[in-house]
Amino acid sequence: MDIIVKNMTACYGKTEILHNIDLEIKSGEKVFIGGPNGSGKTTLLRVLAGIIPHKGEVLVNGKEISSMKRKEAANIISLMPQTSELYFPYTVYETVLLGTYASSGSVFGGIKATDVQYAVKCMEDCDVMKYKDRHLDELSGGQLQRVLLARTFAQRAPFLFLDEPGNNLDIKYKAELCDRLNVWAQGKTNGIDNSLVCVFHDLEQARRCCNRAVMVKNGEIVFDGDINDGTKPEMLRKIYDFDVASYIASNISL
Amino acid sequence: MTNNTNTIINKRGTGLKIAISLVLCLFILVLCIRAGSVQISLNDVFGIIGGHLTGKGTPAGIDPMMDSIFWTIRMPRAIMAFLVGGALSLSGACMQALLQNPLASSYTLGVSSGASLGAGIVLVLEISIPALANFMLPVAGFTFGLLTVTAALLLASAIDRSISNTTVVLIGVILSLFVNGILNLLSTLFSDHAKQLHLWMMGSFSARGWKHVAILLPVLVICFVILMFMSRKMDIMSFGDLQAQAMGVDAKKTKIAAIIVCSLLTGVSVAFTGVIGFVDLAAPHVVRRIFGSSHNIVLPMSFVYGGAFMALCDLISRTLLSPQEIPVGAVTALIGAPFFAYVFFASRRKR
Repeated sequence: MDIIVKNMTACYGKTEILHNIDLEIKSGEKVFIGGPNGSGKTTLLRVLAGIIPHKGEVLVNGKEISSMKRKEAANIISLMPQTSELYFPYTVYETVLLGTYASSGSVFGGIKATDVQYAVKCMEDCDVMKYKDRHLDELSGGQLQRVLLARTFAQRAPFLFLDEPGNNLDIKYKAELCDRLNVWAQGKTNGIDNSLVCVFHDLEQARRCCNRAVMVKNGEIVFDGDINDGTKPEMLRKIYDFDVASYIASNISL
Repeated sequence: MTNNTNTIINKRGTGLKIAISLVLCLFILVLCIRAGSVQISLNDVFGIIGGHLTGKGTPAGIDPMMDSIFWTIRMPRAIMAFLVGGALSLSGACMQALLQNPLASSYTLGVSSGASLGAGIVLVLEISIPALANFMLPVAGFTFGLLTVTAALLLASAIDRSISNTTVVLIGVILSLFVNGILNLLSTLFSDHAKQLHLWMMGSFSARGWKHVAILLPVLVICFVILMFMSRKMDIMSFGDLQAQAMGVDAKKTKIAAIIVCSLLTGVSVAFTGVIGFVDLAAPHVVRRIFGSSHNIVLPMSFVYGGAFMALCDLISRTLLSPQEIPVGAVTALIGAPFFAYVFFASRRKR
């Protein structure tokens, strides 16, 4: 299974954010999407997940994503957003269980025992089981981030799209996140090799979790290749217009 | 660690809360039926209901006059108030989830005022289509309610293509004020009907009988079932449209389908009783504070709480200044507005 993007352009209102993007992601890959603020990383993830309109082609297994039913697409791609609107204070358990909606296959959106089991597994994996009855508005930023991650896993899709999953996490959970993602990427979902597509600002984390880098600048892909090449000092200087290497060197390294 | 369904979901507390709510609701309904200038004993209440349900007629020892007051006036009126209150607050609960806006309701989206304009036009022009007979008012109400909300959605989508929720609510409010203006104009132009129209704009359950219940009930049951099937989609929608899309829900389709069902609920209710506000805002908020956020509980409980609240307001409207009646819309606003403000801001302050 693969996702192929051909000559894709995306706009917010009248502003064109992404220009003529070509990209190919195969199942089993671990892709880091990097680039400066406002370069179009989040928009790229959203277009790939088919949740905002685009021009050109985004083919998932040969099928245009905008012509797919939402449920069908959600069974292939699970997207964790950078921020989440928390409108009503659902409990942690309710939130994670909602992640199983697309894969559940039960009539009229009911809840099956297997959905519950899977949601519980995801909550345990993300270490949020101990807060299962707490309301989302009673959680800290890091706790909430892990709950949303658990919900994203609960969607049981082979392509996991994460928009800054390390936000608000402390050092321990950041390290655990990398381990968790690496373990997950070894596995299969519905017989398809699992794939990661992640936006990170923390380059160290990106290197730990991914092996391919796609660097975006001003709505265009300026680098696509091995992550070690993509995060070399001269490349980073070109992409961020900033001497990243000496900045990192001047700080206490982790 | 054992992970079966029962240990995961904390259901016992909810069950108890539902039981208490239902008992309270029944108590309010009985109170509404008994209270008034003519008192009926509880025994006689059950006697009369039993007599009518079994088809035996008035039981021996009960004044036929009493039977008639109770069976043909009070009981359908109380039930009508309950059903309308329930319908309005059910649609309010759905709208709030779909538009992620605490101020969204059929009232603020213009469905209510649209429906009342439809009913108002039928009243002043004395239109009657024989084929529709008793259905004339509800059909006009639903049609105009749906027209208004469609106009609101079209306008919203013309202004902003993603149909953002704030735009929808703002345009709904503007349209609903505009439509109210037309209704006011009508009541000036057709001054013979002014009093009737005025009552309409504030709502009343006076002289609502079994035939109205018979039309409202089936519509209500169908809409309720459809919305219950959508309850999980509404849970997902309340995390925002984009997130809902990513989780497998077609946000736009779901919004449109639910808004049509809610317009039907509101349109039919309003066509019989006039515009009654605040129930649809207040009841779902109270329910969410008591029962949490899951819509498979929020929807039925909004119905129960909204119904009980409306029945209580109607009781106040007909007994407080008896024999004069206060329009029930005034009562719901007088009680509902401060109450809503309290519930809403109390929950905001916490965050």
